[in-house]
Amino acid sequence: MNGKAAVLFTAFLMAALALPHGIFAADEDIQKKVDALSKEVQSLQQQVAQPKEGKKSISDWLMIGGDYRFRIDSLRGEVPNYLSFSDYMAWVMGGMVGSPAITPSSTVKNDTLYTNRFGLNITAKVMKDVTFHTRLLMYKEFGSQANDASRGTYFADRIGVFDGTLGHVPSDGGVAVDQVYMTINNIFNQPIWFSIGRRPSTGGIPTHLRQDNEKPGVSGVSGLLVDYAYDGLTLGYAPDIDGLPGAYAKFCYGRGYQHGFHSGQPGEVKNMDMMGFVVVPYDTDPLSIHLQVNHAMDIIDFPTIKDSSLGSLGPTTNLGDIDQFGIVVMSTLKKVGPGTLNMFASGAMDKTHPNDNHPTFNGMPLSNIGLMYTGTKESTTGNAIYLGARYDLPTKTMLGFEYNHGSKNWISFVPAADDMWTSKLGTRGDVYEVYVIQELRKIPIASYRAKTFVRLGYQYYDFEYTGSNNWVGGPVAISDVASNPQMLTPMKNAQDLYATLEVKF
Amino acid sequence: MKRFAIASMLFAVAVAASGFLSPGAASAEEIKLVGVITKIEIAGPDATTASATLKDNKTGELVTVIVNDDLTLDKFKDHRIVVGDEIRLKYEVKDGKNISRYFRKTAGC
Repeated sequence: MNGKAAVLFTAFLMAALALPHGIFAADEDIQKKVDALSKEVQSLQQQVAQPKEGKKSISDWLMIGGDYRFRIDSLRGEVPNYLSFSDYMAWVMGGMVGSPAITPSSTVKNDTLYTNRFGLNITAKVMKDVTFHTRLLMYKEFGSQANDASRGTYFADRIGVFDGTLGHVPSDGGVAVDQVYMTINNIFNQPIWFSIGRRPSTGGIPTHLRQDNEKPGVSGVSGLLVDYAYDGLTLGYAPDIDGLPGAYAKFCYGRGYQHGFHSGQPGEVKNMDMMGFVVVPYDTDPLSIHLQVNHAMDIIDFPTIKDSSLGSLGPTTNLGDIDQFGIVVMSTLKKVGPGTLNMFASGAMDKTHPNDNHPTFNGMPLSNIGLMYTGTKESTTGNAIYLGARYDLPTKTMLGFEYNHGSKNWISFVPAADDMWTSKLGTRGDVYEVYVIQELRKIPIASYRAKTFVRLGYQYYDFEYTGSNNWVGGPVAISDVASNPQMLTPMKNAQDLYATLEVKF
Repeated sequence: MKRFAIASMLFAVAVAASGFLSPGAASAEEIKLVGVITKIEIAGPDATTASATLKDNKTGELVTVIVNDDLTLDKFKDHRIVVGDEIRLKYEVKDGKNISRYFRKTAGC
């Protein structure tokens, strides 16, 4: 029995050992087949996916847009009696006999200034999380390949075209690269982005309203502080906070002037850089709050302008630093009466930190002039406010009003603003503007947001001090310009009646 | 410069406080994804709800969510958000439907 039992047990054991082995062997075979099939399917999927990627429509990754604008301006301004710098120097060189000649008051005007502006925008989704964007601009006067008709001797930001205004004021008709940058998104799989290149640092909020442009979004800057075509970078973060919809923050850095080879000799002009922090704690249509602080370092005296109203200009020294702080509060309220009401209030302040350097003009050292002062060196503080509203009717008619005021020592970085006389937001005085925009009520074809519109507007500048948009030298009350020599022609008030016909796609 | 440094520090603290120390109240059911919009369906200018289909960047799967918040609906209506935009999305599943809780373009600049 024991023997039979032993045989049976052995047989059972062998069968038991053999059976699972067989089952496992069968499982392994199946598994191998499944794995092979899986690989085959995966390979096929990849093969199928590859041509599909290759056949991607160009519209999936490339976006092209643009704009064209015809504009007519009718300009008129009042120049008070004033003492020009050249007459003053002639009087000094002549032994200071008698009194220096005074330039009599006058009215200056340009009844019809016609301009063409063309813009081309290209955005490419280069690869996952990487985009490229460029905007090309051409802005010219009718019948000219120069800016003789729009250039004046009145304001520092309109004596000629320089890097910060290229494409934003009439120039030689050449197509300029206004923006070109690449952006990397979703860094570390977080809402963090890094962008570098020639920045979208123009047309900031809330100046987009009067231009009938889209709100700039996270690329926006405060229009009261910065409207300057700049080369630089941004590092941004847009956290998801339930109580703070749309919140984001970003650090910006840019270089406004870059010196060339140097040997460290005293008196060499240094680089001019600017950095800023933007914090937008709340960004929705009904309420948007935008805070910005800037620090501009080693401000140069003159930008490089080969062909300015004052001759060829270039930096001769660094004058010091400027700090700025600004806030913009915007609101868009729907169904206010028949339409939508857009409102904004913006405030800003600046503080200068002059060094002991003085500019040199035409080889002549201006030893009593520095950053925002004439005579004794002093740090100055200025401020500005900017208020406005636009009412959008269902008929696609938009009615707008804006007001801004800059104090005696107000200085900003806004030369690229879309104003003919001078950037209104850099004005030391008051500026009023009213406008009406009428969009054509046609179905857009080129893009969802394509539009054609006419804009009719009127600006009135009431200057209280000289030197709007100029940080070289101290401001002088307009009532005192007959006794204080003026490098630029002072202006008491100015008007611009303008009309545009624009297409954006 | 000193004031700027102080202001910068304040901003940095504000950013840190807003972004890292008090993140949005994420519920356990919330699902996050980053994807490209492939379809938006909205009934019309007065619609109070819409559906958007996104292709998840990671998995390639299509996810359709219901959007009820006015801010995003307005962006659909006036085409500030369109097909092709990349979106950072948070949603939760309620009664078998994906309900959007956070819908924002990823694009920075």
